[in-house]
Amino acid sequence: MMERNAVKREIPSRIDGYGYTSEKLFEGAFARRPSGCHAGPRIRAAVPGVGSKLAGGVHEAIMASGLKSGMTISFHHHLRNGDYVVNQVIQACAELGISDLTIFPTALFDVHKAIIPYIKSGVVGRIMGSVNGAIGKLVSEGGLDAPVVLRSHGGRPRAVISGDVHIDVAFIAAPTADRAGNISGQMGRSACGSIGYAFTDAQNADVVVAITDNLQSYPISPVSIPGVHVDLVAVTDSIGDPAGIVSGTTRVTRDPMRLLIAKYASRLIEASPYFMVGISFQTGAGGIPLAVTAFMKEAMKRRDIRGSFGLGGITGYFVDLMKEGLVQKLMDVQSFDLDAVHSIASDPNHIEISADWYANPWNCGAAVNMLDVVILGATEVDVDFNANVNTEADGALLHGIGGHQDTAAGAKLTIIAQPLMRGRIPCVVDRVHTVTTPGEVVDALVTEFGVTINPQRKDLADACAEFAASRDIPLVPIDELAERARRMSGPMEPIRVSDRVVAVVEWRDGTVIDVIRQLEK
Amino acid sequence: MEPADLKAAQAGTLESMDCLVTITGPVEGRVIEISGNAAARFKTAMERRINDVLDGFGNSPTDIKVGVQDNGALDIVLGARVEAAYARYIGRAGR
Repeated sequence: MMERNAVKREIPSRIDGYGYTSEKLFEGAFARRPSGCHAGPRIRAAVPGVGSKLAGGVHEAIMASGLKSGMTISFHHHLRNGDYVVNQVIQACAELGISDLTIFPTALFDVHKAIIPYIKSGVVGRIMGSVNGAIGKLVSEGGLDAPVVLRSHGGRPRAVISGDVHIDVAFIAAPTADRAGNISGQMGRSACGSIGYAFTDAQNADVVVAITDNLQSYPISPVSIPGVHVDLVAVTDSIGDPAGIVSGTTRVTRDPMRLLIAKYASRLIEASPYFMVGISFQTGAGGIPLAVTAFMKEAMKRRDIRGSFGLGGITGYFVDLMKEGLVQKLMDVQSFDLDAVHSIASDPNHIEISADWYANPWNCGAAVNMLDVVILGATEVDVDFNANVNTEADGALLHGIGGHQDTAAGAKLTIIAQPLMRGRIPCVVDRVHTVTTPGEVVDALVTEFGVTINPQRKDLADACAEFAASRDIPLVPIDELAERARRMSGPMEPIRVSDRVVAVVEWRDGTVIDVIRQLEK
Repeated sequence: MEPADLKAAQAGTLESMDCLVTITGPVEGRVIEISGNAAARFKTAMERRINDVLDGFGNSPTDIKVGVQDNGALDIVLGARVEAAYARYIGRAGR
């Protein structure tokens, strides 16, 4: 039987490997409220002078952790495409005869395609987390028995704290650790800066294993995750490849069309009621968002406006904004480049925050709630302003949710900035293939044709209309944009999918906003 | 077929929103091969445009293979590239 949720998606009332959905259909961005108490981990007690957390290598730590077949293990992705830890742990589990594991990573990258043989051999039975690249393709073609569950950066800690997911063993890649299990991401040859995604796992797993290639004498400082949460410390030769962990410099786009889009977006921000002293924003690391930041910087200087904070994944660009006094603080859940890593290690105004603090909808106030403006991308946006960031034009699952849902829901002004077409493929359509973020929290779309305001935001439309007269912002209705894309591309053939659900897209509150179905061969 | 009879001609580029069309022959019939991201959603339209352009040459050309490496070309671009490639193939245009 099919049910219909608030964004008009047909959701099976029962999904194999996920469960019944009728009690958890998406009802609206802020509709579902929590009840009851936090779930939590097993209580442990260390006795003074007895035992040691130093377990030896990865194999020994897995044995000491008591990990068994069928359990759930978690990972965080701050080492990004340079990470060795996921592959090391899964390979060791295979060698130890452990199978049918549920892996609960914050995200998997292309480097993790090394675990595909272990998915095929049954060591990994299920994935709950973002899958990118080769593993996404495998999932889309039906390579896993149970559906992947996709959660946002805030939805994931919510799921852990509320008991939707129980972590048996958390493996934490630790660029620096000491023998008591204190962990920091700020020092060591595999330094990655913030390790914010790992906090909730450390606080809520039954067993926490730190894996480090830089064991320092007790106590290290600064400490990100204190050893009070950590059971075991494993030492390995290398936890990652520095070249894949941080990029050298992130660059602003030089493509004239993308620069035009960034210029329109920046004018929209300037026209909005939020462009005032104390403005806060998040722009991420993409080419267009970085260019928006550059144009905003110009506007802030011109109008003598100083902002309060930059949020999210932090780049050197934001570090420079802080150095120039255009924002006072940086709140960093993931440090993207070397400048950000150096800054978080040396500047007390560059604050490391957990994913819970960053984006969880079910706590006493996440940082996204304090956000004025966010610039996002999307593979598709539809005439209801619903955004898809999960599936590509051919219907394949290739991207996680990241902080898209959380920042869109939290920010006062959510802008999706992107070209109208990617090659022949329209980015504005009648109906997105997958709803990641509902139109009710998307305020404006900016393309090379101008600014398109969500009709629900009449206040914003009025603010822009005034500004448009003097400063040349073309305003384009969404239907006109969709029609223009359709005329350029010609009619699209439908994506052929089967009934089988390969991934469930959860809204940040744990309700089902959409499902992704298996591609027909 | 002797190897000496084989012919090939190309038009286009692999830049974004363009395509590289390669016509080779002789082969049996008219073979169309399309690769690229847009093919998943526009294959029928692309094939139709390729056939329309070729049929526009009058004698409904056959015994050719049309290979399209697409990087997001709109129909109008695809048509122009196919026309140029076929004109070169039959020696009606320079390269």
